[in-house]
Amino acid sequence: MEQALWFGWFRADIIAEYAPLFWQGLRMTILVTLICIVQGTTLGLAIGMARLAEARHAPARQLCRYALRWPATVYVSFFRGTPLFVQILLIHFAVLPVFVNPADGLLISGETARHLKQNYGAFLSGVVALTLNAGAYISEVFRAGIQSIDRGQVEASRSLGMSFGHTMVQVVLPQAFRRMLPPLGNNAISLLKDSSLISAIGLAELAYAARTVAGAYSRYWEPYLTISLMYWVLTLALAWAVRKMEARYGRGDSR
Amino acid sequence: MDVAIRVSGLTKQFGRLAVLRGIDCEVRRSEVVCVIGPSGSGKSTFLRCLNGLEEATGGRVDVGGVSVHDPATDLDRLRAEIGMVFQRFNLFPHRTVLENITLAPRKVRRLESAQARERATALLGKVGLLDKIDAYPNQLSGGQQQRVAIARALAMQPSVMLFDEPTSALDPEMVGEVLAVMRALAGEGMTMVVVTHEMGFAREVADRVLFMDEGMLVEEGAPAQLFEAPRHERTRRFLSKMLA
Amino acid sequence: MKAARAFIVAVSGALVALTAAAQPKELVVGSSATYRPFAYESPTKEIVGYDIDMIKAVAQKSGLQIRIVNTPWTGIFAALNNGDVDLVISGVTINDKRKQSYDFTAPYFEARQLIAVHKDSPVRALKDLAGKKVGVVTGSTGDDVASREFGKNSPNIRRFESTPVVIAELANAGLDAAIGDNGVIAFRAQEHKTLKTVSDAGFSKEYFGIVVKQGNKALLDKLNAGLAAVKADGSYGQIYRKWFQADAPALPAQ
Repeated sequence: MEQALWFGWFRADIIAEYAPLFWQGLRMTILVTLICIVQGTTLGLAIGMARLAEARHAPARQLCRYALRWPATVYVSFFRGTPLFVQILLIHFAVLPVFVNPADGLLISGETARHLKQNYGAFLSGVVALTLNAGAYISEVFRAGIQSIDRGQVEASRSLGMSFGHTMVQVVLPQAFRRMLPPLGNNAISLLKDSSLISAIGLAELAYAARTVAGAYSRYWEPYLTISLMYWVLTLALAWAVRKMEARYGRGDSR
Repeated sequence: MDVAIRVSGLTKQFGRLAVLRGIDCEVRRSEVVCVIGPSGSGKSTFLRCLNGLEEATGGRVDVGGVSVHDPATDLDRLRAEIGMVFQRFNLFPHRTVLENITLAPRKVRRLESAQARERATALLGKVGLLDKIDAYPNQLSGGQQQRVAIARALAMQPSVMLFDEPTSALDPEMVGEVLAVMRALAGEGMTMVVVTHEMGFAREVADRVLFMDEGMLVEEGAPAQLFEAPRHERTRRFLSKMLA
Repeated sequence: MKAARAFIVAVSGALVALTAAAQPKELVVGSSATYRPFAYESPTKEIVGYDIDMIKAVAQKSGLQIRIVNTPWTGIFAALNNGDVDLVISGVTINDKRKQSYDFTAPYFEARQLIAVHKDSPVRALKDLAGKKVGVVTGSTGDDVASREFGKNSPNIRRFESTPVVIAELANAGLDAAIGDNGVIAFRAQEHKTLKTVSDAGFSKEYFGIVVKQGNKALLDKLNAGLAAVKADGSYGQIYRKWFQADAPALPAQ
């Protein structure tokens, strides 16, 4: 392919040559990000509430402390306290092979395991690692958000005879959610950018495409500038979506 | 049953601090009982023990014959029979007035939306706020919010209503409208326990007044008797300060 | 006081300049030490390997002082270009594409590509890998070979940052095969009892060269002179035998 020089130095042709890889990478990055946002938020909600679990009377009281609060706290501490990069490698090379292995997988083995590992291995590991990681950070957002709701709201709701579940769903969470949107939005954006780390285990997403081109041509401006712009556009789109949500849920706010 | 609420030997400790030191009292059906006393006397804590918002360290409270603090009791169900009005209203800011009032009846009593709305409009009519049915709490004045809160509690058709200093957070010109609603409620025969600083209200509406000080029930009696001729020195001192 | 201070500064400055002039400039050598047996970190944190022994011998023969710095493969050429390192010896295959941007010395190692597969794999040649998941190191010769054979945008090519990671993925059944330089692949495959190597007659003979920045003729000439001397006096043969337990093949002069 002949060189296509932009501004006299930017070799757009090498990007064009690998265009399918960039395109696929973009789709993969978006897919991974969306899946992990949804799963991470769900997990974060569960863990956040587990951190706040309390009961008045035994045995529920001990159960809450040892089966809910403790494990949740340890989980959050670990996943916030270790680098995401390390978590990805750990899960892909150490944890997943224990469960999915053609020879002796605990969960899946044999031909299914081989097929799964080859076609979706990196995807699976990456999504699991990113979800667990995001879940830990998001759980803190939920915990803080729920705790920031005035106790009087809970007291009023319970005094009306509403159960804990109804109180959470109808009174606390809707109010907390509005407050949590900005930090949740930040977490979503972080997720988008963190997904680039999964390229290290061979997942064909955006950063992987850039690395491939850089590796083939030993040129760094073109591929990395290209994906930087793509990540930036994605981030702006995400931020816009969060703003829209903030506007939509802003009615009747209490201060 | 004639006795709506029975309290026996109620004690409450916060760590080393004894907030309630053994309260015994009974509230009969349709009785209006006002609880007065200085700050820190434990009156709010006492009230909150009646519907389980506070745990009792000792003694017991029975409402309609059901023990409030027994772990085996279905507390949610019991609370549906006990309405509570808070000093700071505690309306749900993210819901309209209508939704505030109909939420619990729909979720707990399983009322249909239409039925719940009917009940809400009737209650709003009673408290004089029908025109605010679709407003949000932050669009209402304090007095209006408290009246909505009363309607919200009444929507569950409780057998007992508890009021925790319902007018203390209100500007003086709005106190009257809330007291009027409470007076009307008393007139209809609702069993009410009211913690308040409004001596005028206590004197005119209460069937019985309880004076609490330092976690103990010092004196109780009909308002005429307690206000005109208090038996205890502490009661006298408190009243002279309040009515000076 | 002021005069005394100025005097001390002047003398120190002169001493530093003199000593600097007296010693030959130390050259920084970039090598990616995750490429056993060519360059890797020993348990005592030293960088050792075939490449290291060769560059030390060459430097000694041409009177150069060198310092070896572990440089990640991903940025090793960038480091050469911006002067972070003066030369690179890191199992770099001499090819035309790279010659466009850099200058190479004469060869110091003969390499072929090699395929690693599971012990029970029916794969006998490169084309048997069509449709299978193949792992390579990003931007390596193996990457080139795979890209040429299967298409550079093929989703079946999985690229990783270093050979140990590729082999780990292969051993975990995440890949069907791995392609890389014979020296490294053979070593890694024999570490894992479940793998074996397959050679393809189509794999051409290739050579490793020492890389310098394009146009750095002075350094290039010195290195080539040293390399010729190392080959001539048998040091090359010794080093080769030490690392590969076999006779060293003759290398072309270019």
